[in-house]
Amino acid sequence: MYLQLALRNLSRTRVRSALAVIGIIIGVTAITSIGIFGENLKKTVMESFGDIANEVIVLPNSQEGFSFIDERTVELIRKSPYPAAVIPVKADSFEMTYKNQKRFVTVYGLDERGVNELFDVAEGTSDLKPGKTIVGSQIAESLDLRIGSRITVDGKVYRVSGILEEQGARFDIRPDNAIIISERDHKADIFAVIVKLENLGDIEGFKSYVQATINIKDKKVEILEMKSILDRIEEAFGQINLFLMAIAGVSLLVAGVSILNIMLMSTIERTKEIGIMRAIGAQKPDILKIFLMEAGILGISGSTVGSILSIAGGYFVTKLIIGEVSEILSMETVLFAVEGFVFGVGTAVISGLYPAWRAANLEPIEALRYE
Amino acid sequence: MKTVVFENVSKIYRTRYYQVSALKDINLEIRRGEFIAIMGPSGSGKSTMLNLIGCLDRPTEGEIYIKGTPISGLRDDELTDLRRNTIGFVFQQFNLIPTLSALENIELPMIFRGTDSGERRKRARKLLEIVGLEDVADRKPVEMSGGQQQRVAIARALANSPEILLCDEPTGNLDSKTGEQVMEILAGLRDEGVTVVLVTHDESLRRYAERVVRLRDGRIVDVSAVSS
Repeated sequence: MYLQLALRNLSRTRVRSALAVIGIIIGVTAITSIGIFGENLKKTVMESFGDIANEVIVLPNSQEGFSFIDERTVELIRKSPYPAAVIPVKADSFEMTYKNQKRFVTVYGLDERGVNELFDVAEGTSDLKPGKTIVGSQIAESLDLRIGSRITVDGKVYRVSGILEEQGARFDIRPDNAIIISERDHKADIFAVIVKLENLGDIEGFKSYVQATINIKDKKVEILEMKSILDRIEEAFGQINLFLMAIAGVSLLVAGVSILNIMLMSTIERTKEIGIMRAIGAQKPDILKIFLMEAGILGISGSTVGSILSIAGGYFVTKLIIGEVSEILSMETVLFAVEGFVFGVGTAVISGLYPAWRAANLEPIEALRYE
Repeated sequence: MKTVVFENVSKIYRTRYYQVSALKDINLEIRRGEFIAIMGPSGSGKSTMLNLIGCLDRPTEGEIYIKGTPISGLRDDELTDLRRNTIGFVFQQFNLIPTLSALENIELPMIFRGTDSGERRKRARKLLEIVGLEDVADRKPVEMSGGQQQRVAIARALANSPEILLCDEPTGNLDSKTGEQVMEILAGLRDEGVTVVLVTHDESLRRYAERVVRLRDGRIVDVSAVSS
Protein backbone atom coordinates (compact mmCIF):
# COMPACT_ATOMS: atom_id res chain seq x y z
CA MET A 1 0.00 0.00 0.00
CA TYR A 2 2.83 2.42 0.84
CA LEU A 3 4.41 1.42 -2.44
CA GLN A 4 1.18 2.11 -4.31
CA LEU A 5 0.84 5.45 -2.59
CA ALA A 6 4.41 6.34 -3.58
CA LEU A 7 3.86 5.21 -7.17
CA ARG A 8 0.66 7.21 -7.50
CA ASN A 9 2.28 10.28 -6.02
CA LEU A 10 5.02 10.02 -8.61
CA SER A 11 2.55 9.55 -11.44
CA ARG A 12 0.74 12.72 -10.33
CA THR A 13 3.72 14.72 -11.53
CA ARG A 14 4.63 12.47 -14.40
CA VAL A 15 6.81 14.87 -16.38
CA ARG A 16 8.72 15.94 -13.31
CA SER A 17 9.34 12.34 -12.23
CA ALA A 18 10.37 11.41 -15.77
CA LEU A 19 12.90 14.24 -15.86
CA ALA A 20 14.37 13.14 -12.55
CA VAL A 21 14.63 9.58 -13.86
CA ILE A 22 16.34 10.85 -17.02
CA GLY A 23 18.87 12.65 -14.83
CA ILE A 24 19.66 9.42 -13.00
CA ILE A 25 19.85 7.52 -16.29
CA ILE A 26 22.38 10.00 -17.66
CA GLY A 27 24.44 9.91 -14.48
CA VAL A 28 24.50 6.14 -14.19
CA THR A 29 25.14 5.66 -17.90
CA ALA A 30 28.02 8.14 -17.80
CA ILE A 31 29.90 6.62 -14.90
CA THR A 32 29.23 3.04 -15.87
CA SER A 33 30.10 3.33 -19.54
CA ILE A 34 33.27 5.25 -18.72
CA GLY A 35 34.10 2.57 -16.20
CA ILE A 36 33.52 -0.16 -18.77
CA PHE A 37 35.53 1.73 -21.38
CA GLY A 38 38.42 2.23 -18.97
CA GLU A 39 38.41 -1.43 -18.06
CA ASN A 40 38.48 -2.44 -21.71
CA LEU A 41 41.27 0.04 -22.41
CA LYS A 42 43.31 -1.41 -19.57
CA LYS A 43 42.69 -4.91 -20.80
CA THR A 44 43.72 -4.03 -24.35
CA VAL A 45 46.92 -2.36 -23.18
CA MET A 46 47.79 -5.20 -20.85
CA GLU A 47 47.17 -7.71 -23.61
CA SER A 48 49.53 -5.81 -25.91
CA PHE A 49 52.33 -6.47 -23.45
CA GLY A 50 51.76 -10.10 -24.05
CA ASP A 51 52.62 -12.80 -21.64
CA ILE A 52 55.62 -11.30 -19.94
CA ALA A 53 54.51 -11.26 -16.34
CA ASN A 54 56.72 -14.25 -15.55
CA GLU A 55 59.76 -12.55 -17.03
CA VAL A 56 62.71 -11.44 -14.96
CA ILE A 57 65.61 -9.57 -16.53
CA VAL A 58 69.04 -9.79 -14.97
CA LEU A 59 71.13 -6.72 -15.84
CA PRO A 60 74.68 -5.71 -14.94
CA ASN A 61 74.70 -3.26 -12.06
CA SER A 62 76.11 -0.17 -13.81
CA GLN A 63 76.14 1.84 -10.60
CA GLU A 64 78.78 -0.52 -9.24
CA GLY A 65 80.77 -0.34 -12.47
CA PHE A 66 79.62 -3.60 -14.04
CA SER A 67 78.88 -3.19 -17.73
CA PHE A 68 78.26 -6.77 -18.81
CA ILE A 69 77.32 -10.13 -17.43
CA ASP A 70 80.06 -12.74 -17.35
CA GLU A 71 79.73 -16.39 -18.31
CA ARG A 72 80.00 -17.54 -14.71
CA THR A 73 77.01 -15.50 -13.76
CA VAL A 74 75.03 -16.99 -16.64
CA GLU A 75 76.04 -20.45 -15.43
CA LEU A 76 74.84 -19.65 -11.91
CA ILE A 77 71.52 -18.44 -13.29
CA ARG A 78 71.16 -21.63 -15.29
CA LYS A 79 71.78 -23.65 -12.15
CA SER A 80 68.97 -21.95 -10.20
CA PRO A 81 66.54 -24.45 -8.69
CA TYR A 82 63.56 -22.74 -10.33
CA PRO A 83 62.48 -24.15 -13.70
CA ALA A 84 62.97 -21.43 -16.30
CA ALA A 85 64.16 -20.63 -19.81
CA VAL A 86 67.40 -18.69 -19.50
CA ILE A 87 68.19 -16.47 -22.48
CA PRO A 88 71.46 -14.51 -22.49
CA VAL A 89 71.24 -11.51 -24.83
CA LYS A 90 74.13 -9.77 -26.54
CA ALA A 91 73.58 -6.37 -28.07
CA ASP A 92 75.50 -3.78 -30.01
CA SER A 93 74.94 -1.24 -32.78
CA PHE A 94 76.43 -1.66 -36.23
CA GLU A 95 76.17 -0.23 -39.67
CA MET A 96 74.23 -2.50 -41.93
CA THR A 97 74.11 -2.45 -45.71
CA TYR A 98 71.54 -3.89 -48.05
CA LYS A 99 71.46 -3.08 -51.78
CA ASN A 100 73.38 0.17 -51.25
CA GLN A 101 71.07 1.22 -48.43
CA LYS A 102 72.89 1.91 -45.19
CA ARG A 103 71.35 1.89 -41.76
CA PHE A 104 72.54 1.90 -38.18
CA VAL A 105 70.77 -0.91 -36.38
CA THR A 106 70.77 -2.67 -33.06
CA VAL A 107 72.12 -6.17 -33.46
CA TYR A 108 71.11 -8.75 -30.88
CA GLY A 109 72.93 -11.96 -30.35
CA LEU A 110 70.71 -14.87 -29.34
CA ASP A 111 70.50 -18.57 -29.88
CA GLU A 112 67.66 -20.27 -31.69
CA ARG A 113 66.00 -21.37 -28.48
CA GLY A 114 65.98 -17.81 -27.24
CA VAL A 115 64.31 -16.59 -30.41
CA ASN A 116 61.63 -19.21 -30.15
CA GLU A 117 61.11 -18.44 -26.50
CA LEU A 118 60.77 -14.70 -26.99
CA PHE A 119 59.29 -14.10 -30.42
CA ASP A 120 57.02 -15.42 -33.11
CA VAL A 121 58.36 -15.68 -36.62
CA ALA A 122 56.02 -14.27 -39.26
CA GLU A 123 57.89 -15.47 -42.34
CA GLY A 124 60.61 -18.04 -42.88
CA THR A 125 62.12 -19.99 -39.99
CA SER A 126 63.84 -19.29 -36.73
CA ASP A 127 67.03 -20.85 -38.12
CA LEU A 128 69.88 -18.97 -36.48
CA LYS A 129 72.99 -20.94 -37.41
CA PRO A 130 76.13 -18.85 -37.88
CA GLY A 131 75.78 -16.70 -40.98
CA LYS A 132 72.00 -16.47 -40.69
CA THR A 133 69.93 -13.57 -39.41
CA ILE A 134 66.37 -12.96 -38.34
CA VAL A 135 65.13 -9.43 -38.84
CA GLY A 136 62.50 -7.27 -37.16
CA SER A 137 59.27 -6.46 -38.94
CA GLN A 138 59.82 -2.73 -39.35
CA ILE A 139 63.30 -2.92 -40.71
CA ALA A 140 62.20 -5.70 -43.05
CA GLU A 141 59.48 -3.46 -44.38
CA SER A 142 61.51 -0.28 -44.71
CA LEU A 143 64.41 -1.98 -46.48
CA ASP A 144 62.17 -4.42 -48.35
CA LEU A 145 64.02 -7.43 -46.96
CA ARG A 146 62.89 -10.91 -48.02
CA ILE A 147 63.74 -14.42 -46.91
CA GLY A 148 67.12 -15.15 -48.46
CA SER A 149 68.17 -11.50 -48.78
CA ARG A 150 71.85 -10.94 -48.08
CA ILE A 151 72.78 -8.15 -45.75
CA THR A 152 76.16 -6.94 -44.61
CA VAL A 153 76.73 -6.16 -40.97
CA ASP A 154 80.10 -4.93 -39.73
CA GLY A 155 81.73 -6.31 -42.86
CA LYS A 156 80.20 -9.79 -42.61
CA VAL A 157 77.44 -11.15 -44.86
CA TYR A 158 74.32 -12.74 -43.36
CA ARG A 159 71.41 -14.40 -45.08
CA VAL A 160 67.89 -13.59 -43.81
CA SER A 161 66.21 -16.77 -42.63
CA GLY A 162 63.18 -15.28 -40.89
CA ILE A 163 61.15 -12.12 -40.36
CA LEU A 164 59.59 -11.56 -36.94
CA GLU A 165 56.02 -10.61 -36.25
CA GLU A 166 55.51 -7.07 -35.07
CA GLN A 167 56.17 -7.07 -31.34
CA GLY A 168 54.92 -3.69 -30.16
CA ALA A 169 55.72 -2.47 -26.67
CA ARG A 170 58.14 -4.59 -24.70
CA PHE A 171 60.42 -3.91 -21.80
CA ASP A 172 63.16 -6.43 -22.47
CA ILE A 173 64.30 -6.11 -26.06
CA ARG A 174 62.66 -4.30 -28.95
CA PRO A 175 63.36 -6.26 -32.10
CA ASP A 176 61.07 -4.43 -34.55
CA ASN A 177 63.84 -2.16 -35.76
CA ALA A 178 66.70 -4.53 -35.07
CA ILE A 179 68.26 -7.68 -36.42
CA ILE A 180 69.15 -10.85 -34.59
CA ILE A 181 72.22 -12.92 -35.33
CA SER A 182 73.63 -16.02 -33.69
CA GLU A 183 75.33 -15.30 -30.39
CA ARG A 184 78.32 -17.15 -31.80
CA ASP A 185 78.64 -14.54 -34.56
CA HIS A 186 78.18 -11.74 -32.05
CA LYS A 187 81.38 -10.37 -30.54
CA ALA A 188 79.84 -8.17 -27.88
CA ASP A 189 79.36 -9.08 -24.22
CA ILE A 190 76.15 -10.27 -22.68
CA PHE A 191 74.19 -7.19 -21.65
CA ALA A 192 71.21 -8.96 -20.12
CA VAL A 193 69.87 -12.37 -19.23
CA ILE A 194 66.17 -12.84 -19.72
CA VAL A 195 64.77 -15.46 -17.39
CA LYS A 196 61.30 -16.78 -18.16
CA LEU A 197 60.19 -18.59 -15.07
CA GLU A 198 57.73 -21.40 -15.49
CA ASN A 199 55.86 -20.49 -12.33
CA LEU A 200 54.80 -16.94 -11.52
CA GLY A 201 55.17 -17.78 -7.84
CA ASP A 202 58.91 -18.43 -8.20
CA ILE A 203 59.82 -14.78 -8.79
CA GLU A 204 60.65 -13.99 -5.17
CA GLY A 205 62.54 -17.24 -4.75
CA PHE A 206 64.58 -16.61 -7.85
CA LYS A 207 65.45 -13.12 -6.67
CA SER A 208 66.71 -14.44 -3.35
CA TYR A 209 68.69 -17.10 -5.18
CA VAL A 210 70.43 -14.42 -7.25
CA GLN A 211 71.18 -12.33 -4.17
CA ALA A 212 72.59 -15.36 -2.38
CA THR A 213 74.74 -16.73 -5.21
CA ILE A 214 75.71 -13.89 -7.52
CA ASN A 215 75.49 -10.75 -5.43
CA ILE A 216 77.43 -12.08 -2.47
CA LYS A 217 80.58 -10.02 -2.58
CA ASP A 218 79.69 -7.28 -5.04
CA LYS A 219 76.28 -6.28 -6.22
CA LYS A 220 77.08 -7.50 -9.69
CA VAL A 221 73.57 -7.60 -11.11
CA GLU A 222 70.25 -5.89 -10.87
CA ILE A 223 66.95 -7.59 -11.36
CA LEU A 224 64.11 -6.08 -13.33
CA GLU A 225 60.80 -7.72 -12.72
CA MET A 226 58.19 -7.44 -15.44
CA LYS A 227 55.42 -8.30 -13.05
CA SER A 228 55.96 -5.30 -10.81
CA ILE A 229 56.11 -3.00 -13.84
CA LEU A 230 52.90 -4.45 -15.19
CA ASP A 231 51.30 -4.15 -11.77
CA ARG A 232 52.24 -0.51 -11.64
CA ILE A 233 50.81 0.13 -15.10
CA GLU A 234 47.63 -1.64 -14.17
CA GLU A 235 47.40 0.40 -11.02
CA ALA A 236 47.90 3.64 -12.95
CA PHE A 237 45.12 2.69 -15.34
CA GLY A 238 42.88 1.91 -12.40
CA GLN A 239 43.54 5.36 -10.97
CA ILE A 240 42.91 7.11 -14.28
CA ASN A 241 39.69 5.16 -14.63
CA LEU A 242 38.59 6.13 -11.15
CA PHE A 243 39.31 9.76 -11.95
CA LEU A 244 37.29 9.61 -15.17
CA MET A 245 34.43 7.97 -13.31
CA ALA A 246 34.57 10.68 -10.69
CA ILE A 247 34.18 13.29 -13.43
CA ALA A 248 31.21 11.37 -14.79
CA GLY A 249 29.98 11.16 -11.21
CA VAL A 250 29.35 14.89 -11.33
CA SER A 251 26.44 14.22 -13.66
CA LEU A 252 25.02 11.79 -11.12
CA LEU A 253 25.47 14.44 -8.46
CA VAL A 254 23.47 16.87 -10.59
CA ALA A 255 20.78 14.22 -10.94
CA GLY A 256 20.78 13.87 -7.16
CA VAL A 257 20.32 17.60 -6.74
CA SER A 258 17.40 17.53 -9.17
CA ILE A 259 15.76 14.77 -7.14
CA LEU A 260 16.34 16.78 -4.00
CA ASN A 261 14.72 19.71 -5.73
CA ILE A 262 11.62 17.96 -6.99
CA MET A 263 11.11 16.11 -3.74
CA LEU A 264 11.35 19.36 -1.80
CA MET A 265 8.79 20.84 -4.15
CA SER A 266 6.50 17.92 -3.63
CA THR A 267 6.80 18.07 0.17
CA ILE A 268 5.70 21.67 -0.06
CA GLU A 269 2.87 20.90 -2.46
CA ARG A 270 1.72 18.01 -0.35
CA THR A 271 2.05 19.73 3.01
CA LYS A 272 -1.69 19.61 3.59
CA GLU A 273 -1.85 15.93 2.65
CA ILE A 274 0.96 15.18 5.08
CA GLY A 275 -1.03 17.04 7.73
CA ILE A 276 -4.11 14.93 6.95
CA MET A 277 -2.17 11.71 7.17
CA ARG A 278 -0.60 12.75 10.45
CA ALA A 279 -4.07 13.71 11.76
CA ILE A 280 -5.56 10.33 10.94
CA GLY A 281 -2.74 8.46 12.60
CA ALA A 282 0.42 8.35 10.46
CA GLN A 283 3.59 8.33 12.56
CA LYS A 284 6.67 10.26 11.43
CA PRO A 285 8.37 7.08 10.14
CA ASP A 286 5.29 6.33 7.99
CA ILE A 287 5.65 9.68 6.21
CA LEU A 288 9.41 9.17 5.94
CA LYS A 289 8.82 5.77 4.37
CA ILE A 290 6.44 7.11 1.72
CA PHE A 291 8.83 9.84 0.62
CA LEU A 292 11.91 7.64 0.68
CA MET A 293 10.06 5.08 -1.39
CA GLU A 294 9.34 7.73 -3.98
CA ALA A 295 13.03 8.63 -4.14
CA GLY A 296 13.90 4.94 -4.23
CA ILE A 297 11.52 4.27 -7.12
CA LEU A 298 13.05 7.14 -9.11
CA GLY A 299 16.51 5.79 -8.32
CA ILE A 300 15.75 2.16 -9.13
CA SER A 301 14.00 2.87 -12.42
CA GLY A 302 16.66 5.35 -13.55
CA SER A 303 19.53 3.13 -12.50
CA THR A 304 18.07 0.01 -14.12
CA VAL A 305 17.71 1.74 -17.47
CA GLY A 306 21.07 3.47 -16.95
CA SER A 307 23.01 0.30 -16.28
CA ILE A 308 21.48 -1.50 -19.24
CA LEU A 309 22.19 1.46 -21.51
CA SER A 310 25.73 1.75 -20.21
CA ILE A 311 26.60 -1.80 -21.20
CA ALA A 312 25.67 -0.77 -24.73
CA GLY A 313 27.30 2.64 -24.22
CA GLY A 314 30.52 1.12 -22.91
CA TYR A 315 30.58 -1.19 -25.90
CA PHE A 316 30.19 1.65 -28.40
CA VAL A 317 32.70 3.98 -26.75
CA THR A 318 35.21 1.15 -26.58
CA LYS A 319 34.55 0.19 -30.17
CA LEU A 320 34.90 3.81 -31.24
CA ILE A 321 38.16 4.52 -29.42
CA ILE A 322 39.93 1.18 -29.14
CA GLY A 323 38.41 -0.40 -32.21
CA GLU A 324 37.76 -3.85 -30.85
CA VAL A 325 35.86 -5.31 -27.95
CA SER A 326 36.77 -8.75 -26.73
CA GLU A 327 33.50 -9.42 -24.94
CA ILE A 328 30.55 -7.25 -23.99
CA LEU A 329 29.24 -9.13 -20.99
CA SER A 330 32.47 -9.82 -19.16
CA MET A 331 32.56 -10.16 -15.40
CA GLU A 332 33.99 -6.65 -15.07
CA THR A 333 31.35 -5.07 -17.31
CA VAL A 334 28.56 -6.58 -15.26
CA LEU A 335 30.34 -5.51 -12.09
CA PHE A 336 30.51 -1.92 -13.34
CA ALA A 337 26.83 -2.02 -14.28
CA VAL A 338 25.96 -3.27 -10.79
CA GLU A 339 28.18 -0.59 -9.29
CA GLY A 340 26.48 2.09 -11.39
CA PHE A 341 23.10 0.77 -10.29
CA VAL A 342 24.05 0.92 -6.63
CA PHE A 343 25.44 4.45 -7.02
CA GLY A 344 22.29 5.58 -8.84
CA VAL A 345 19.90 4.21 -6.24
CA GLY A 346 22.14 5.48 -3.46
CA THR A 347 22.22 8.99 -4.90
CA ALA A 348 18.43 9.05 -5.26
CA VAL A 349 17.78 7.80 -1.74
CA ILE A 350 20.35 10.15 -0.19
CA SER A 351 18.80 13.04 -2.10
CA GLY A 352 15.39 11.97 -0.84
CA LEU A 353 16.51 11.86 2.79
CA TYR A 354 16.29 15.55 3.55
CA PRO A 355 12.88 16.18 1.91
CA ALA A 356 11.50 13.03 3.54
CA TRP A 357 12.86 14.09 6.89
CA ARG A 358 11.34 17.52 6.45
CA ALA A 359 7.99 16.07 5.48
CA ALA A 360 7.99 13.71 8.45
CA ASN A 361 8.83 16.49 10.87
CA LEU A 362 6.17 18.94 9.80
CA GLU A 363 3.98 19.96 12.71
CA PRO A 364 0.66 18.20 12.01
CA ILE A 365 -1.38 21.25 12.95
CA GLU A 366 0.67 23.61 10.78
CA ALA A 367 0.60 21.18 7.88
CA LEU A 368 -3.15 20.77 8.15
CA ARG A 369 -3.67 24.52 8.01
CA TYR A 370 -1.48 24.90 4.94
CA GLU A 371 -3.36 25.99 1.85
CA MET B 1 -17.34 8.76 32.62
CA LYS B 2 -15.49 11.78 31.28
CA THR B 3 -13.98 11.31 27.86
CA VAL B 4 -12.47 14.77 27.55
CA VAL B 5 -11.57 17.13 30.38
CA PHE B 6 -10.26 20.71 29.98
CA GLU B 7 -8.60 21.99 33.15
CA ASN B 8 -7.73 25.70 33.15
CA VAL B 9 -6.60 25.45 29.56
CA SER B 10 -5.07 28.42 27.78
CA LYS B 11 -3.56 28.48 24.34
CA ILE B 12 -1.34 31.28 23.15
CA TYR B 13 0.05 31.43 19.63
CA ARG B 14 3.28 33.34 19.46
CA THR B 15 4.93 34.62 16.36
CA ARG B 16 8.01 36.80 16.22
CA TYR B 17 5.98 39.99 16.10
CA TYR B 18 2.83 39.37 18.08
CA GLN B 19 1.00 36.85 20.19
CA VAL B 20 -2.60 35.73 20.10
CA SER B 21 -4.47 34.35 23.03
CA ALA B 22 -6.68 31.81 21.30
CA LEU B 23 -8.14 30.21 24.42
CA LYS B 24 -8.27 31.59 27.94
CA ASP B 25 -8.80 29.52 31.04
CA ILE B 26 -11.14 26.92 29.62
CA ASN B 27 -12.75 24.39 31.93
CA LEU B 28 -15.02 21.80 30.34
CA GLU B 29 -15.94 18.18 30.71
CA ILE B 30 -17.33 16.09 27.87
CA ARG B 31 -19.11 12.89 28.80
CA ARG B 32 -18.78 9.68 26.95
CA GLY B 33 -21.40 9.29 24.22
CA GLU B 34 -22.33 12.93 24.35
CA PHE B 35 -23.10 15.05 21.26
CA ILE B 36 -21.68 18.45 22.01
CA ALA B 37 -21.66 21.50 19.75
CA ILE B 38 -19.04 24.23 20.11
CA MET B 39 -20.38 27.41 18.59
CA GLY B 40 -19.20 30.95 18.21
CA PRO B 41 -18.11 33.53 15.66
CA SER B 42 -14.94 32.99 13.66
CA GLY B 43 -11.82 33.68 15.67
CA SER B 44 -13.50 32.71 18.92
CA GLY B 45 -11.24 29.70 19.45
CA LYS B 46 -13.54 26.88 18.29
CA SER B 47 -11.03 25.24 16.01
CA THR B 48 -8.25 25.63 18.58
CA MET B 49 -10.38 23.70 21.05
CA LEU B 50 -11.02 21.00 18.50
CA ASN B 51 -7.32 20.73 17.64
CA LEU B 52 -6.47 20.38 21.31
CA ILE B 53 -9.01 17.59 21.80
CA GLY B 54 -7.64 16.01 18.61
CA CYS B 55 -4.11 15.93 20.07
CA LEU B 56 -2.87 17.95 17.11
CA ASP B 57 -1.75 20.66 19.49
CA ARG B 58 -0.76 21.00 23.13
CA PRO B 59 -2.11 23.60 25.58
CA THR B 60 0.16 26.48 26.62
CA GLU B 61 -1.22 26.31 30.15
CA GLY B 62 -3.50 23.90 31.96
CA GLU B 63 -4.09 20.29 31.13
CA ILE B 64 -6.32 18.27 28.87
CA TYR B 65 -7.23 14.69 29.73
CA ILE B 66 -8.33 12.32 27.03
CA LYS B 67 -9.83 9.21 28.61
CA GLY B 68 -7.97 10.15 31.75
CA THR B 69 -4.57 10.61 30.08
CA PRO B 70 -2.97 14.06 30.42
CA ILE B 71 -1.75 15.00 26.94
CA SER B 72 0.73 17.79 27.62
CA GLY B 73 3.49 15.38 28.62
CA LEU B 74 3.06 12.99 25.70
CA ARG B 75 5.66 12.57 22.98
CA ASP B 76 4.76 13.06 19.33
CA ASP B 77 4.44 9.33 18.69
CA GLU B 78 2.25 8.83 21.76
CA LEU B 79 -0.03 11.67 20.66
CA THR B 80 -0.19 10.07 17.22
CA ASP B 81 -1.16 6.71 18.70
CA LEU B 82 -3.85 8.36 20.78
CA ARG B 83 -5.17 10.18 17.73
CA ARG B 84 -5.19 7.09 15.59
CA ASN B 85 -6.84 4.78 18.09
CA THR B 86 -9.24 7.09 19.89
CA ILE B 87 -10.10 10.03 17.67
CA GLY B 88 -11.68 10.47 14.25
CA PHE B 89 -11.55 13.71 12.27
CA VAL B 90 -14.15 15.11 9.89
CA PHE B 91 -13.07 18.35 8.21
CA GLN B 92 -14.95 21.07 6.39
CA GLN B 93 -12.74 20.55 3.32
CA PHE B 94 -13.26 16.74 3.44
CA ASN B 95 -9.47 16.34 3.18
CA LEU B 96 -9.41 13.03 1.35
CA ILE B 97 -6.12 11.89 -0.18
CA PRO B 98 -6.55 12.68 -3.89
CA THR B 99 -4.53 9.74 -5.21
CA LEU B 100 -6.52 7.14 -3.31
CA SER B 101 -9.96 5.72 -4.11
CA ALA B 102 -12.85 6.02 -1.64
CA LEU B 103 -12.16 2.53 -0.33
CA GLU B 104 -8.41 3.14 -0.01
CA ASN B 105 -8.98 6.44 1.79
CA ILE B 106 -11.03 4.56 4.37
CA GLU B 107 -8.32 1.90 4.64
CA LEU B 108 -5.55 4.44 5.28
CA PRO B 109 -5.99 4.90 9.08
CA MET B 110 -6.09 1.11 9.41
CA ILE B 111 -2.87 0.85 7.40
CA PHE B 112 -1.19 3.26 9.80
CA ARG B 113 -2.48 1.11 12.64
CA GLY B 114 -1.11 -2.06 11.05
CA THR B 115 -4.41 -3.87 10.49
CA ASP B 116 -3.95 -6.76 8.07
CA SER B 117 -5.18 -6.23 4.53
CA GLY B 118 -8.08 -8.71 4.52
CA GLU B 119 -9.66 -7.30 7.64
CA ARG B 120 -8.96 -3.78 6.42
CA ARG B 121 -10.78 -4.29 3.15
CA LYS B 122 -13.73 -5.93 4.87
CA ARG B 123 -14.14 -3.13 7.39
CA ALA B 124 -13.72 -0.42 4.73
CA ARG B 125 -16.51 -1.98 2.65
CA LYS B 126 -18.76 -2.21 5.68
CA LEU B 127 -18.15 1.44 6.53
CA LEU B 128 -18.90 2.45 2.94
CA GLU B 129 -22.17 0.58 3.30
CA ILE B 130 -22.97 2.41 6.54
CA VAL B 131 -22.56 5.80 4.83
CA GLY B 132 -24.48 4.46 1.82
CA LEU B 133 -21.70 4.63 -0.78
CA GLU B 134 -21.01 1.02 -1.80
CA ASP B 135 -21.20 1.99 -5.47
CA VAL B 136 -18.41 4.61 -5.41
CA ALA B 137 -15.79 2.41 -3.74
CA ASP B 138 -13.30 2.71 -6.58
CA ARG B 139 -13.77 6.40 -7.35
CA LYS B 140 -11.14 8.97 -6.61
CA PRO B 141 -12.21 12.07 -4.62
CA VAL B 142 -12.39 14.28 -7.75
CA GLU B 143 -14.94 11.87 -9.21
CA MET B 144 -17.30 12.26 -6.26
CA SER B 145 -19.74 14.99 -5.18
CA GLY B 146 -19.08 17.03 -2.05
CA GLY B 147 -21.66 15.07 -0.07
CA GLN B 148 -20.15 11.78 -1.17
CA GLN B 149 -16.67 12.97 -0.24
CA GLN B 150 -17.83 14.03 3.21
CA ARG B 151 -19.51 10.70 3.77
CA VAL B 152 -16.30 8.93 2.74
CA ALA B 153 -14.45 11.20 5.17
CA ILE B 154 -16.83 10.15 7.95
CA ALA B 155 -16.29 6.51 7.07
CA ARG B 156 -12.53 7.12 7.19
CA ALA B 157 -12.86 8.81 10.59
CA LEU B 158 -14.65 5.70 11.85
CA ALA B 159 -12.10 3.25 10.45
CA ASN B 160 -10.31 2.55 13.75
CA SER B 161 -13.57 2.62 15.78
CA PRO B 162 -12.79 5.89 17.59
CA GLU B 163 -14.47 6.88 20.82
CA ILE B 164 -14.41 10.53 19.89
CA LEU B 165 -15.42 12.01 16.56
CA LEU B 166 -14.31 15.59 15.93
CA CYS B 167 -16.23 17.44 13.25
CA ASP B 168 -15.04 20.86 12.09
CA GLU B 169 -17.86 22.53 10.14
CA PRO B 170 -18.72 19.22 8.46
CA THR B 171 -21.61 20.75 6.52
CA GLY B 172 -19.85 24.02 5.68
CA ASN B 173 -19.16 23.06 2.08
CA LEU B 174 -22.42 21.19 1.45
CA ASP B 175 -25.89 22.25 0.37
CA SER B 176 -28.52 22.07 3.08
CA LYS B 177 -30.05 18.79 1.97
CA THR B 178 -26.73 17.00 1.76
CA GLY B 179 -25.70 18.65 5.00
CA GLU B 180 -28.72 17.20 6.67
CA GLN B 181 -27.87 13.70 5.43
CA VAL B 182 -24.37 14.06 6.89
CA MET B 183 -25.78 15.30 10.20
CA GLU B 184 -28.14 12.33 10.35
CA ILE B 185 -25.18 9.98 10.02
CA LEU B 186 -23.38 11.79 12.84
CA ALA B 187 -26.48 11.68 15.02
CA GLY B 188 -26.73 7.94 14.37
CA LEU B 189 -23.15 7.49 15.61
CA ARG B 190 -23.94 9.25 18.83
CA ASP B 191 -26.68 6.67 19.32
CA GLU B 192 -24.03 3.98 18.99
CA GLY B 193 -22.02 5.51 21.82
CA VAL B 194 -19.53 7.65 19.95
CA THR B 195 -18.73 10.99 21.54
CA VAL B 196 -19.31 13.63 18.87
CA VAL B 197 -17.77 17.10 19.14
CA LEU B 198 -19.16 19.40 16.48
CA VAL B 199 -17.66 22.80 15.74
CA THR B 200 -19.94 25.07 13.75
CA HIS B 201 -21.36 28.54 13.50
CA ASP B 202 -24.51 27.23 11.80
CA GLU B 203 -27.28 27.76 14.37
CA SER B 204 -29.55 25.27 12.62
CA LEU B 205 -27.27 22.41 13.71
CA ARG B 206 -27.68 22.99 17.42
CA ARG B 207 -30.75 20.79 17.44
CA TYR B 208 -28.55 17.71 16.91
CA ALA B 209 -26.56 18.45 20.05
CA GLU B 210 -27.29 17.68 23.68
CA ARG B 211 -25.21 20.57 24.90
CA VAL B 212 -23.99 23.73 23.25
CA VAL B 213 -20.80 25.47 24.36
CA ARG B 214 -20.57 29.09 23.24
CA LEU B 215 -17.19 30.73 22.82
CA ARG B 216 -16.27 34.35 22.39
CA ASP B 217 -12.74 35.72 22.25
CA GLY B 218 -11.29 32.50 23.58
CA ARG B 219 -13.59 32.22 26.61
CA ILE B 220 -16.61 30.06 27.27
CA VAL B 221 -19.52 32.45 27.62
CA ASP B 222 -22.32 29.95 27.90
CA VAL B 223 -22.93 26.21 28.25
CA SER B 224 -26.53 25.18 27.73
CA ALA B 225 -28.38 21.93 27.39
CA VAL B 226 -30.54 21.54 24.30
CA SER B 227 -34.04 20.22 24.89
CA SER B 228 -34.96 17.78 22.21
